[in-house]
Amino acid sequence: MINLTKNIQIITNNVRVCESFNENFNVIYVDGGYLDVLYAVRDRIHIGSILISHPLMGSIKPNETPFRSVVIEEKNGPVDYQSLAIIESSIESCKKLLKDRSTPDWTEKVLEDFRFLDIRLLESALGSLM
Amino acid sequence: MRLELGNIFIKDMQFGEATKVENGVLYINKKELLEAVGGDNRIASIEVDIAKPGEETRIMPVKDVIEPRVKVEGPGGIFPGFISKVDVVGSGKTHVLKGAAVVTAGKIVGFQEGIIDMSGPGAEYTPFSKTNNLVLVCTPVDNLPQHEHEQAVRLIGLKAAAYIGEAGRNVKPDEVKVYETLPLFEGAKKYPDLPKVAYVYMLQTQGLLHDTYVYGVDAKRIVPTLIYPTEVMDGAIVSGNCVSACDKNPTYNHLNNPIIEDLYERHGKDYNFVGVIITNENVTLADKERSSNWTAKLAEYLGLDAVIISEEGFGNPDTDLMMNCKKITAKGIKTVLVTDEYAGRDGASQSLADADKAADAVVTAGNANEIIELPPMKKVIGDLKPADVIAGGFAGSLKPDGSIVAELQVITGATSEIGFNKLSATQF
Repeated sequence: MINLTKNIQIITNNVRVCESFNENFNVIYVDGGYLDVLYAVRDRIHIGSILISHPLMGSIKPNETPFRSVVIEEKNGPVDYQSLAIIESSIESCKKLLKDRSTPDWTEKVLEDFRFLDIRLLESALGSLM
Repeated sequence: MRLELGNIFIKDMQFGEATKVENGVLYINKKELLEAVGGDNRIASIEVDIAKPGEETRIMPVKDVIEPRVKVEGPGGIFPGFISKVDVVGSGKTHVLKGAAVVTAGKIVGFQEGIIDMSGPGAEYTPFSKTNNLVLVCTPVDNLPQHEHEQAVRLIGLKAAAYIGEAGRNVKPDEVKVYETLPLFEGAKKYPDLPKVAYVYMLQTQGLLHDTYVYGVDAKRIVPTLIYPTEVMDGAIVSGNCVSACDKNPTYNHLNNPIIEDLYERHGKDYNFVGVIITNENVTLADKERSSNWTAKLAEYLGLDAVIISEEGFGNPDTDLMMNCKKITAKGIKTVLVTDEYAGRDGASQSLADADKAADAVVTAGNANEIIELPPMKKVIGDLKPADVIAGGFAGSLKPDGSIVAELQVITGATSEIGFNKLSATQF
């Protein structure tokens, strides 16, 4: 069972995640790229939220997939420094790869593959909470 | 646990009337092979081809590479949990068709799978340009979900390797190597003055298309545990990982893990290689904390003096690597890490997505962001088009003449994080 004492939040730019998880989870849609999702997560960590899934989950590079979903526990309070260190390193890794090569202009079929994979990785993360 | 590995050197591979090994040539009856691997109604067709070292052949997109082996003595059979029952393997005798490989190919998702060139500059980066490869290009039925497609192709590859491996059952090996690991206390008694060393073997388990199996079990569902090194040589660990061609561990690499083989080389001389701790790389921080707590606990429990830790993948697993390193070091145990780098095209950026001051002994297997140019090949097995979309390829990477400009990460096995490659880095 998901721990109901925790306020689980999904930050995502993948519309399929909104469609699939909106009923059971607090899904925050970010209208932007991979990096924008990480920034949105960082902003919440700054005011006390805690990372539940790793921001770089999946071995697909941040300059390959445009989609990202991150699970956090929404909280207000002191900063969790482990979460902060991980999100900052993830943002640095993401920027490093995007600097060399921006995300290609994928065909819709490839984009759909990436959305699908993002959802399945997210399910893998949520599955661990059950 | 004692295993004799009998290597039968395969110099050539040909289709023939019967599947057999004769004078170092592996003959394969194509019809029988297809009967052995066929029957999955999720796959519409399987094309079979052979690619030999030195040929102007490009294989892509590559999913897995598997070495044909057969168990000739001792309990169990090859690839327990998939091809054989789940008896404990790793003892007795196993024959290996050394120099032969099964390569599964075909597009599973619109990206990620790798390239093997059999000659030219690309061949220098992959160990699979040196093997005679039986390539199976599997085409799924329409609208097959990706995870079912992956599962079907994974099983076809394992079945093909097991079918071909049988050809070595009654062949006298050209070379026999013996590997033995004693039960913990017996080993400690035999080598009382040697430092105790183990291998922490991180398995890719992030989720769909990023999976690894141990005796058929999805390793994301395990807590870290112990395994005899020779169990790995009999196929106890199988790859279901389709992502990041350069640094994923194909099943072939698990079977031939050079960290295990090298640890055995000086076992009983410089140290006592007590065994392998397998662990996973899940996506939640709680899983990472739990698994790294367990590797550290097991390392302490075994009374180890040092460990080698290898990772598989990019980004998220860097955090597992650092947690393992930090927590094992905190127990007073020395650690050496094996990884690869994503250091940007100029190699000047931070290599990993995580770091810790305890990580002061690190072996790198190369920079996956380095740009390479692969000339056109006369023959392509599979499909060239995915070159634009696989990891490390980029829009325009496939030129009209069939050449490819891409990052090193497109090459299968180029920056193997267990060191099954030739690249590394030194500081001047």
